[in-house]
This record gives sequence, structure tokens and C-alpha cells, in this order.
Amino acid sequence: MAKKILLIEDDKFLRKVIVRKLTADGYEVIEAIDGEKGVVAAREGKPDLILLDLVLPEIDGFEVLAMLKKDKETFKIPVIILSNLGEKENVEKGLKMGANDYLIKARLEPSEIAERIQKILNQE
Amino acid sequence: MFWKKKKSNKESESQLYENDITITRYLIDGLLVFDSENRLFLINPSAEKFLEVREEEVLGKTILELSRFARFAPLASLLGGGLEEYFRKELAFNSNLVLEITSVHMKIEGERVSTLVIMHDITREKLAEKMKAEFVTLAAHQLRTPISGVKWSLKTLLDEEVGKINKKQRAIIEQAYKTNNKVVNLIRDLLSVAEIEEGRYLKKLSLWNIEDIISSVIDGFEPQLKKKKIKIKLQKPKGDLPKIMVDVERLKVALNNIIKNAVRYTFGGGIITVLLIRHEKYIEVEVKDTGIGIPLSQQNKVFTKFFRSSNVMKIDTEGTGLGLYIAKNIIEAHDGRIWFESEENKGTTFYFTIPIKKQYGEFLTEEFY
Repeated sequence: MAKKILLIEDDKFLRKVIVRKLTADGYEVIEAIDGEKGVVAAREGKPDLILLDLVLPEIDGFEVLAMLKKDKETFKIPVIILSNLGEKENVEKGLKMGANDYLIKARLEPSEIAERIQKILNQE
Repeated sequence: MFWKKKKSNKESESQLYENDITITRYLIDGLLVFDSENRLFLINPSAEKFLEVREEEVLGKTILELSRFARFAPLASLLGGGLEEYFRKELAFNSNLVLEITSVHMKIEGERVSTLVIMHDITREKLAEKMKAEFVTLAAHQLRTPISGVKWSLKTLLDEEVGKINKKQRAIIEQAYKTNNKVVNLIRDLLSVAEIEEGRYLKKLSLWNIEDIISSVIDGFEPQLKKKKIKIKLQKPKGDLPKIMVDVERLKVALNNIIKNAVRYTFGGGIITVLLIRHEKYIEVEVKDTGIGIPLSQQNKVFTKFFRSSNVMKIDTEGTGLGLYIAKNIIEAHDGRIWFESEENKGTTFYFTIPIKKQYGEFLTEEFY
């Protein structure tokens, strides 16, 4: 059965590119366009992994991560932060809050993101 | 005082003293004067306001006695019991008050007769810096988002995930991909420059082995070295080198920028030598390449922002011209020194030093660089 990835990303264009890549790699992808919808989708959709943007409307990615890690339904789901906030403080904060990895979009290609997803899923 | 009319000596001295007191009262900067026994002799109204004390409760007290007053405590811990000299040292009491402290020993015939402590309010400047930093971070983020989209889309086309492309189309898309990557690098470097200029560059200092740092940076160049058939030799003295107190991420950036230039501008089949030298109080690192060198007429600009030498511009379009400026600032933030020697068409050697310190804040007293 295909592994399910939840993508929480507000940028339509970036969402489209990632969804295309992950779908081509055989994943099932569910999309959420903001933090609030992302938390709901995580609870209801039971994804195997969450790709989380940080700069999101209303609730930001850090708040989403805190909510996911507090909730007994979602705290075990691995989270990869996928953001363009590249500052060391943000990276350290994200990892300290329980993210499994922190990727900076502009420095990576979709195939590298897919590799990191695969690596974490293999560890689970 | 030069503006005083000539009077008898005694009259003149007393008038001068009154003038000095009047001037200090109207100074916007806070001023403390300690006598030769390190007791507070004078405090002006601005200092009273900054330190939230009244003149009558603090005069005559030593700095240690004064440290019982909440606002005096951080100042006392900066200056110490012996009232050390400082030049423009920042002291943040909270986000609403940041002072720049300068302390000066006034001496007569080599003997300290008093210590002046000048407190300059830089709260507004710090706030403006913070706002600028936040703006730069946000702007970088906003720029990176569409650039990521372009990068990923071009890569999708190059990987032929949405259909075959011919040779001509591939060449054009590859060029666009490279140019887009240059913008990614430029944003990364501009963020580093913004951080440098805000003075918030060294963040986490810890003890590291320099050899490990260099090896990990060299490993990152493996693909380029293979492609250009360039060899890197790492030479170090026998025995273990002492650990150095550094912000390892930043030092890696500096090293990466220096080695990146060596790899980029060394001819295929060339050799890069990284040499480690142990000195008594510092470690010296040399990165010697057999590359295109830097024209003599442009060597004085090497560490300036956006500098790219004329011979480099002809063969390489990827550099941002910020790498060595960033490297210099990182090395100097570690109290090190950086310099180079270069000959066009023969090669360049960059040298830098990192002091051997046991802990952060332990500054070496002797000039060694």
C-alpha cells in the first residue's frame, strides 16, 4: 500500500511541484493549504509522514508542530520541516520541537526531498 | 578650559570645576567618575536615570557596593572590581535600554587618578537593527519561495518528468537553472552579510579540533575535485593540535568560501595544499592553490563586498563576490587574521589564524597577529 504524505504548504505552485514528484514516486499525497487545515488533516488522514512549511497563514508552522506533538493521535507521525527560513535559530528550534529533519527549499531539488522522506520512512 | 577669561589661579580653578560640573549635568550621555580608590565620585543626572539611583545613595561607594543596586549589577560585572577599561561595549539592561559603555583610566604620570565611565544610549539604534534584521530575513524568505518554485520546475523539465527535451532546449534550461542557483547563493550570502553588519555573527562557541573541521569541509568538495581531477593535500604537524573555541558552523562557512575559490580557480589536474601550522598562541591555516591568481592591480580589493577579479569574470559566472568578505569577517570575529599572497597564472595562498583559547572571553594579552 502506498505510503501517505501530508503536505502542509500555502504556496500553490510549490505544492503542485512537490505533489507531482511524490505522486510519481508512488506516494499518496494529501494537501493542506494552512496550519489549521494541516492539523485537522493529520488527525483525520493519519499520514505516514508530514511535510510542514513554516510561514503559513494564521497558525505558523512552529505552532502546528507544537500542536501535532501534543496530540496523542499525531505525536508519533514523523515531521519534516520544509521551509525557506534558513536561519540557524529556526533550524535548531524546529529540531528541538521534535521535527525529524529540517530542509531548506531553495537549496534542494524535489528528488532530494523525496530521498529524505524515504530515509525517514525506512527508519520508522 | 579655553573659553574661560583669564583669572587668578585659585579663582580660575574653582570656576573651571563649576563649569565641568555644569557640563556633566547637561550631558545626554550618562557619566560616572570613580576616584583613585575606585569609589564613585560623580554621577550625572543621565546616569542616575539609566541606573535608576539617586546621587545621594551612591556617592562614595565602590563598584562592588554599588552592585547591590539592580541596574548597577550588570555594569559592575562588566567593569569588575578593578574598573577595567572598555571601548564601546554593549550592555543590554532590557529591550528598552541598551547602553554602550566606554571606560577610561585617567592617569597622571602613569598613575591612575580616576576612571570615567561613559554610558551612551543606543536603544533606538538596536531597535532599528532588529527591525532591519527581521525585514532582511522576511525578504529573503519571500524571495526564496518563488525561486524554489523556479528551481524545482526547471529540474522537473531537465529530468524529463513531463516529456522529452531536445539538446538545444536542455542547454537553455540548464543555463536558466544555473542562473537561478546563483540567485539562491546570492540570497544566502546577502543574509550572511546582513548578519555580519548587525554584529550578530558568532552564535555558538565550543571547542573543536581544526583538523576535523577542515576534513569535513574538504569532503564536501569531492564531486568537484573528481570532475576537475584536482587533488587536495592536507598537511599537519605531528601530534594532536589543541582544540580551538569557535562557532563551528561559521568557521566552516569561512573555510568553505576559501577552499571553494581554490577549487574553482585551479586548473584541471592541479593541486591544492591545506597546511596546518601550530604556533604558540594560535593555529595558522594555509590554503595554497595552483590557479589563475589575482591580478596585482586588484589585490587590494579582494576582501571587499562584491569584488570579482577581471580574470575570474571571464571564466566563471557563478560567484557572488561576497565569499571572501564573509570569510574575513568570520575569521576576525574569532580574533584571527586573514591575508593572502597571489601571482597571476601561478596561484594564490590564503592564510588565516585562529587563536588557541581555553574558553570564550579569554583574550590574549600579547599581540600575536
